Amino acid sequence: MAKTILNLKDLTIKFGGVTALNSVNLELKEGEILALIGPNGAGKTTVFNLITGVYKPTSGNVFLGDVAIDGKKRHHITKLGIARTFQNIRLFGDMTTLENVITGTDVRNKVGLIGSILGTPRSRREEKASTAKAYEILKFIGIDEYADRLAKNLPYGVQRRLEIARALGTEPKILLLDEPAAGFNPQEKVELAAIIKKIRDAGYTILLIEHDMSLIMGISDRVVVLDFGQKIADDLPSVVQNDPQVIAAYLGVPEDAS
Amino acid sequence: MINLRDKGAEFWERSNRPVRVLTVFAIMAVVAALPYAGNTFLQTPVAAFDAVLVYPMGMFILMALGLNVVVGKSGMLDLGYVAFFAVGAYTMAILGTRTGLNTWEIMPIGIAAAMFAGVLLAIPTLRLRGDYLAIVTLGFGEIVRVSALNSEAIGGALGIAGVPFPPGLGFEYQLLDQKYFFWTILVMILLVIWVIRRLTVRRPGRAWESIRQDEDAAELMGVSTYKYKIWAFVFGAAIGGGAGVFYASRSMVIAPDNFTLNTSILILACVVFGGMGNIWGVIVGAAILGYLPDRFRFLSDARLLLFGLVLVVFMNLRPEGILPRKKREKAIVKKGSGA
Repeated sequence: MAKTILNLKDLTIKFGGVTALNSVNLELKEGEILALIGPNGAGKTTVFNLITGVYKPTSGNVFLGDVAIDGKKRHHITKLGIARTFQNIRLFGDMTTLENVITGTDVRNKVGLIGSILGTPRSRREEKASTAKAYEILKFIGIDEYADRLAKNLPYGVQRRLEIARALGTEPKILLLDEPAAGFNPQEKVELAAIIKKIRDAGYTILLIEHDMSLIMGISDRVVVLDFGQKIADDLPSVVQNDPQVIAAYLGVPEDAS
Repeated sequence: MINLRDKGAEFWERSNRPVRVLTVFAIMAVVAALPYAGNTFLQTPVAAFDAVLVYPMGMFILMALGLNVVVGKSGMLDLGYVAFFAVGAYTMAILGTRTGLNTWEIMPIGIAAAMFAGVLLAIPTLRLRGDYLAIVTLGFGEIVRVSALNSEAIGGALGIAGVPFPPGLGFEYQLLDQKYFFWTILVMILLVIWVIRRLTVRRPGRAWESIRQDEDAAELMGVSTYKYKIWAFVFGAAIGGGAGVFYASRSMVIAPDNFTLNTSILILACVVFGGMGNIWGVIVGAAILGYLPDRFRFLSDARLLLFGLVLVVFMNLRPEGILPRKKREKAIVKKGSGA
């Protein structure tokens, strides 16, 4: 069994009187693609926000390896190796595609303001390496032909893929994808599935929020189902698909049957 | 209206190195010759033209460049920028009149003092954004001015007189012929442009740009927004402080009245008028807004009416400033096949 690299323990978060997540446990194994599914409002994006430090849990912990990362600063968590994309695209629109990715790679750079002004050898080396790395990532994702275009002028599908590229720029161990296929047509979904597999094969671990069942069944190793802030299933895709509780969560239960 | 920014950028990209070098030198020669243009249509009716070139024009350009880093590049609205200018000026005035230090020796001290003031302002305001940040910075600017006004030790409302001129560097700075002051400030402006351009294309520039566009996304992509917001304030403050030191040394007399909210707003107007985030636009904007009120001084109070009218008309014609920030894509774009 591969070792666990991300471990959510008894994670609970309350917003006022609403319990958005109730004592959720979740383990992410190294090298797997784990899909997080559930009806709208189940708390999927909240899980992402807790992992990346946007929210602090009311109780419970998030462990990256052996280190508790809840309560750490967001950019620090990114530096520790967790990167994410956003459900509603949040690229830096006035930057080019390449600059977006380079901004991601900057988290691994060490040069500061003074070094940049003076143009120290390290500053030049890092700038050069970052640009090369960003190009490589764009090629890997297959959007290098758009390198010099402004992000806001890109076609929608390319913007979605650029979100992934920018996250990869931070050299994460774990990649969190928040509905990467939203708004895609079937053909684009097939392409995206190939990209996600390719990323996993390159050594990344992926946690994925998605609504499209065929995409999930095709690529994920394991599926976790959330409903009203509770984990109701955690198993192989084929098992989860036939779980009566999951079906009930998605389709509702006829009144006379309950 | 013709797109000046794109025309300029296209010319630059089309040109080879010798043409570029030649263009830069030609522009610099023309600008450096400006103090000799006093008897042409450019002449200002009341103040001498060479003095107007130094203040307000040169000083405004310098300050607008500094404020542009905070407002234009990093997207933080600062309405108290004049405070840093004041800190630099008072450092010069106090040390210049009470110690044997000369302007060039005080310059780094003044810049350091302004940077320190920048940290003081940055730390409590880091959590604030937008309107709230603007209000706090506005308050900061007023605190500095009112403190100076009420401190008898630094002259109170009368300010400090007898601030020494900068010592000459093989020439003498003169009151009636300010071309040396102008050339000195030109060197300062070139230095600031050089530094800002370096920062813009490297890591700090990207960090500021990402903070301006989406602060939360920037932080989640690993940008230490805390650190870079402080740096933006401190860097902007350093430029304001340097301008202040030179201003005090040239003007010989400074008083709290030189550092009112009006000046902060005017510098901000230069940035917005010229084009937020575009240093060439900001320079042109500051030069125009510094020059116009003096050019139309013969209209006495009506000149402010005219000044306001120019602002309103121009901002309607070019809502993003004279030279807006980079929006166009590089000339060489490979054909996209669509996703």
